[in-house]
Amino acid sequence: MSLRSPRLWLGLALGIAAGLLYGWVLQPVELYDTAPSSLREDYRTDYVLMVAEAYGVEADRTQAVVRLAALGPQPPIEFVESAIAYATANGFAAQDIERLSRLARGLGTAPPAAGIQPP
Amino acid sequence: MSRGILPLLVGIALGLAGGLTYAWVIDPVQFTSTSPAALRADFQADYLTLIASAYASTRDLDRARARLALFSDPNPAETLGALAQARLASGGPMAEAQALALLAGDLGVRPSPLPTSGTPSPGSRPSGSPTVARSPTVRPSPTVTRTPGAPFRVDSRELVCDIDQQIPRLRVRVFDSAGQGVPGVEVLVVWEDGQDHFFTGLKPELGSGFGDFTMTEGVTYTVRLAESDALATGLVAETCTEDGETFPGSWELVFVQPEES
Repeated sequence: MSLRSPRLWLGLALGIAAGLLYGWVLQPVELYDTAPSSLREDYRTDYVLMVAEAYGVEADRTQAVVRLAALGPQPPIEFVESAIAYATANGFAAQDIERLSRLARGLGTAPPAAGIQPP
Repeated sequence: MSRGILPLLVGIALGLAGGLTYAWVIDPVQFTSTSPAALRADFQADYLTLIASAYASTRDLDRARARLALFSDPNPAETLGALAQARLASGGPMAEAQALALLAGDLGVRPSPLPTSGTPSPGSRPSGSPTVARSPTVRPSPTVTRTPGAPFRVDSRELVCDIDQQIPRLRVRVFDSAGQGVPGVEVLVVWEDGQDHFFTGLKPELGSGFGDFTMTEGVTYTVRLAESDALATGLVAETCTEDGETFPGSWELVFVQPEES
């Protein structure tokens, strides 16, 4: 059997085509059991916005950090900054951007030391 | 086998092997750009809880509905109610359970029609229990403790005898001044050597202001809303008789918010 055999190359092409047909058409990948870190950017932005909305009333920095940690190992502030950038670029309401900004400010502020009340 | 077909078969085998090696080993699929509906069940629960927590802050029902629609759940209110119960059972934060109950109630679930009464007029407050399948025997009791000035007051307490509901329960309904069920209200149950609590709205199919508690026969209970001083005392699973059969009855307690003057 020679590598110059046209039947070999025809078979190779048919095999690849069959694989693609099976993988893309007959049995395409169905996503399930994914993690929040794989969310599409718009969903991820809305996730961060929900955290910001809840933070607006709860004012619980730790809870916000825990919720944002589900998005991945990066520092939580990075998710918020990305969300602000996406929201700004996509014309989100000013109120929502302000909520995100408030969350960013909250995360950027170190928690007060025990026994010391902020001014 | 003909020698002519052999190269073709070898080519197919090599093609498949190469394709799978590339797809599974060299460059395996990395999941990106997924939707919330594809999240693992526990992440979905967290996501739903976050939707409820955000709603509890903003009260933007349209936005909450839009977010819930991502999950294609035909009955999100029931899902949220069940999730609230699960969160409570697992010792999760009460604030989250209350937020879930609040959203479940605000999604528009109203009490089922009562089998023994006519169709209520719009805005009217339902009475009795929607879980009673047969005509219940209701015995009103005059002993209600009222506390003037409380945010909620005890409107009625009735012993409900239903032979189909032989597990005695404290069934609490809380309504606001407009006659709408109020979800997320903490209800305290106290007895001689213990106490417990539950929240309204965790069974939205029974009404957003509904909550219940299983009684133990022979134990006397006092029920109070956490945000009110109104008490219903001396609640015992009294014996009912129907069709010659005796069984413990349940108590139906209705708390209402007085109308603003």
